[in-house]
Amino acid sequence: MQIGIDLGSRKAKFALLDGERILRLADHDTVTFYKRYGRLAGDELELDLAASGIFTPDELAGATVVVTGYGRNTLALRGARIISEIRAHVAGALLQTGLRDFTLLDMGGQDTKVALVRGEKLTDFVMNDKCAASSGRYLENMAAILELSLDELSLHWEDPVKLDATCGIFGESELIGQILRGHPVERLCAGVNQTLVKRVMPMLKRFASETVVLTGGVARNRGVVRLLENETGLAVVVPEHPQHNGAIGCAFMGTGN
Amino acid sequence: MHRVGFTTTIPLEVILAAGKIPVDLNNVFITSPRSHQLIEEAEVDGFPRSTCGWIKGIYASVLEEGIKELVAVTEGDCSNTRALMEVLSLKGVETVPFAYPHDRDAESVRFEIEKLMRHFGVGWDAVNLSRERLGRIRRKVRELDRLTWEENRVTGAENHYYQVCTSDMNSDPDRFEADVDAFLAEARARKPFNDTLRLAYIGVPPIFDDLYQFTESLGARVVFNETQRQFAMPYDTPDMVEQYRTYTYPYDIFHRLADILMELERRKVDAVIHYVQSFCFRQIEDMIVRQKVPLPILTLEGDKPTALDARTKIRIEGFLEMLAG
Repeated sequence: MQIGIDLGSRKAKFALLDGERILRLADHDTVTFYKRYGRLAGDELELDLAASGIFTPDELAGATVVVTGYGRNTLALRGARIISEIRAHVAGALLQTGLRDFTLLDMGGQDTKVALVRGEKLTDFVMNDKCAASSGRYLENMAAILELSLDELSLHWEDPVKLDATCGIFGESELIGQILRGHPVERLCAGVNQTLVKRVMPMLKRFASETVVLTGGVARNRGVVRLLENETGLAVVVPEHPQHNGAIGCAFMGTGN
Repeated sequence: MHRVGFTTTIPLEVILAAGKIPVDLNNVFITSPRSHQLIEEAEVDGFPRSTCGWIKGIYASVLEEGIKELVAVTEGDCSNTRALMEVLSLKGVETVPFAYPHDRDAESVRFEIEKLMRHFGVGWDAVNLSRERLGRIRRKVRELDRLTWEENRVTGAENHYYQVCTSDMNSDPDRFEADVDAFLAEARARKPFNDTLRLAYIGVPPIFDDLYQFTESLGARVVFNETQRQFAMPYDTPDMVEQYRTYTYPYDIFHRLADILMELERRKVDAVIHYVQSFCFRQIEDMIVRQKVPLPILTLEGDKPTALDARTKIRIEGFLEMLAG
């Protein structure tokens, strides 16, 4: 058995695999999880996985542990093999989709990664760098302004209201301005989702494939998926567990793949 | 002695022939323990957050160092320098414009050099003498570069440091030459490095201070520093005009690419890091670099003088992992 852990900016994701079979998935709010179960020992991060109750003592004793995530080069997780996020996500997408050639678009809490995969191999990639306005956190903020849940926000894609702000924070006041103009909430939601798609298009265009595999928490937003299909004209594949893709990839790498 | 500051490489021969102390303000800024505060001081004075860190750093360094005379490169580098020159002239700094003609026309290069010579009151004899003097040091630095890529005895950071210093010879050519001599003696005696990957670094010098050390900790050594090598004037040229025409940095990207492509092949480079400064026009040229360079490229962007941030580290690690297959 293999355990995979993906320590994201918003969620810590966990996967237990037996070879290529997914046995269990779990996630926790990152900050809460660190506060409750994390502790620094020298330069190493110790996670009290046993206390978290995600895995049984037998599983923890028997499984290999592979980790990726944001803290990866500031923190080493004791007793675990650490791999880069890009490698974890590509591995997860390969296992979950069975595809060999695709462009991976991973949209998480802060990160947006675009990777070109050819013949099951990572051949090039790009990540957002100085700005995180193309990430899940932007959707969370905008949903809060609209006083909606992320699920409600994610339903809409038709006739989007145009939103132009470059900055994710100024975007909030722009959205408030559009609310005052009386646009229906459906169009405002579509506009928010559309903004995200527009921001990733330059990264996506660099690595064209016939198929886009969309992972990360944002992949749960159906409005974004629909708009992405419209904008790219490509098939967008969302694997069964998009948010746990990195953790699944880590566990998959634990098999020696 | 009177110090003359400058904003990027200029004909150093002229400054030295005039008996002045050359000061490359980029080097002053980036080696200052206060480099981060210098940026903040420039922003407090009104420089936009969205301008190049080097421009802001040079501005604050001129004021801090009390530089009274500045040669500003108004063509061949960025147009921000023009505004920098104007702002500094209001602070009482004497500014001397110098332009590299975009088409590398020999007559124009000669005209610009001679204009600079008139300003400093020196003739060709004196300038050619200091060119010979500098040529000796530059050839030693060229040897240091060769030891980097051909004998694998010099790190990317050392290669960067000695070449980048040649723009002003650390304001003291004799002492710098002695430093280079001592370093060469030490490096020649080293065992060659055993790298897993050979990288090229192209673009302006990094504003990060630990990039080379970080890639080397992952088994990838920089064996080609593009612009730093240019600062060291790596070609044999018959005269000053030709020397500053062959120099690639201030001219168009295609002239630079010809040099880059030749060196990538000669040095057996596996992959390229293209560094761009935030808000710099050279970020646009990344499109051309990606089309013309037939190797994997990682484009890094830096803004302020800091150690590598976690995101940039993640990107470098991902890139090197991808190359390792």
